[in-house]
Amino acid sequence: GVLAAHKITASSPDTDLPTVSGLRKMGVNFTVSNKDTVKSSDVLFLAVKPPIIPFILEEVGPDIEPRHIVVSCAAGVTISSIEKKLSTFCPTPKVIRCMTNTPVVVREGATVYATGTHADVEDGKLLEQLMASVGFCTEVEEDLIDAVTGLSGSGPAYAFTALDALADGGVKMGLPRRLAVRLGAQALLGAAKMLLESEQHPGQLKDNVCSPGGATIHALHFLESGGFRSLLINAVEASCIRTRELQHLADQEKISPAAIKKTLLDKVKLESPSLSVASASKVSLFTSKSPSSKKN
Amino acid sequence: GRRGLEGACRRGAMEAAELRVGFVGAGRMAGGLARGLLRAGKVPASSILASAPTDKNLDAWRESGCRTTHCNLEVLQESTLVFLATKPHILPGVLQEIRPAVGPHHIVVSLVAGITLQTLQRLLPAGTKVLRLMPNLPCVVQAGAMVFARGSGAGDGEAALLKNLLSSCGLCEEVPESYINIHTGLSGSGVAYVYLFAEALAEGAVKMGMPSGLASRIAAQTLLGAAKVMLETGEHPAKLRGDVCTPGGTTIHALHQLEKGALRATVMNAVEAATKRACDMAED
Repeated sequence: GVLAAHKITASSPDTDLPTVSGLRKMGVNFTVSNKDTVKSSDVLFLAVKPPIIPFILEEVGPDIEPRHIVVSCAAGVTISSIEKKLSTFCPTPKVIRCMTNTPVVVREGATVYATGTHADVEDGKLLEQLMASVGFCTEVEEDLIDAVTGLSGSGPAYAFTALDALADGGVKMGLPRRLAVRLGAQALLGAAKMLLESEQHPGQLKDNVCSPGGATIHALHFLESGGFRSLLINAVEASCIRTRELQHLADQEKISPAAIKKTLLDKVKLESPSLSVASASKVSLFTSKSPSSKKN
Repeated sequence: GRRGLEGACRRGAMEAAELRVGFVGAGRMAGGLARGLLRAGKVPASSILASAPTDKNLDAWRESGCRTTHCNLEVLQESTLVFLATKPHILPGVLQEIRPAVGPHHIVVSLVAGITLQTLQRLLPAGTKVLRLMPNLPCVVQAGAMVFARGSGAGDGEAALLKNLLSSCGLCEEVPESYINIHTGLSGSGVAYVYLFAEALAEGAVKMGMPSGLASRIAAQTLLGAAKVMLETGEHPAKLRGDVCTPGGTTIHALHQLEKGALRATVMNAVEAATKRACDMAED
């Protein structure tokens, strides 16, 4: 409830997307013109796929004014690349880079942001206020954003995988599937909540659950034998490294712009990537419905 | 009641000074315990009498100023606090031998692995004050870890006496008898796990170019220091581990290697294996 729906405008070239009707139903203003949305907004969320960012910036660049705060959620797209692109149109563009995750849709997102050269403290705080309404939000140095991607960006996928497997375990031992899923999810939710609300180290909280010689410690031994911890470390590392790789490839601009433009325009029509540029008087609607805009 | 226990503790402190301590069996563990007591200054060497079938082990005791004998009965006759430290298969025979000389004033403490309180009490006169102690080798440098359990004839006074005496050799806690085998797996044998780890640490350093003598000393000091912080702060080891890990730094890179090798599970396996073996051996 941090923003009224009519103050949000979203735009997309493809009006047939399922997300579009969803947004309309919420009362969000919808347009096919990116330029229109830029004109009627103060904070601009760029929620397109990373390779499309340069084209969007080219398109809306001329309409960017000093009041605009450009927020990019595109994975691997650096602040400096956006500032460079916009500098041909505007001498001091305000850019903020942000990395969030899919649970924003249930207001339990994990978001970090890094402010660009010309973004003020208040600009960062405004974004923080907005994103804090859908979960946890904090400022970081830009060079940590890849690590955040590896941890909380990809994190929900690790959790979903774990939950699927936990449910399998429950089913194997006799529980109906639906109940198993429900209980597994609640167990993780509860544990996470305990940790967030506790001063104690997770190792201590773990100990608190393990009565001597009991069921839990037997189970944990299995997890350790399987290298559970190292698998999770590996996962976070792999996601972070891949993010950097993709960013590096993008920086090198190995693909010809024309080729990208054509390919992507076709792709955009076929897939469901939700919005291109979304903006509003105070905020833009976040593409919470479509995880594909965060896919690397 | 609480006052009773306090009284027992005071009595325990007084009695240690006049105590005559005997050891039936003079092997490595007995020797370590005795040397620890001597270094702590808790018992004068002249108050210690040890028996063994041959002189092989007894020379070292004599060099420390202790009295020695080849007669087990003499130990019972001369001492109030008697430590039984023979090998497990020898103990039943020794108990038969000394049984006539065991009286109500004796406090019998068995160090013998795998021999239960029930067995000890069965082979000794009814009502004998029997306790069972599981120490570990670092008792010799006053850094031991010891647990003891009391038999039906032993009361607060005996427990307090033993705890008071042995605390000079390290950590000494009373436990239910069922924890004794676990203590073996954790700390009795555990000392060997630490030596293995220290050796591996040093080898890593040698591989990276450090001379082995220096590497070994530093490895040992690292273990000592870390353990000391853990004991003095009482903080959870996971938290202490986190304190050492700067983001993206050397430590977290190294820890990742340890996790990849499933070190935690392997260590758990080791403790489990030693504990189970202690249980199995006890049943033999």
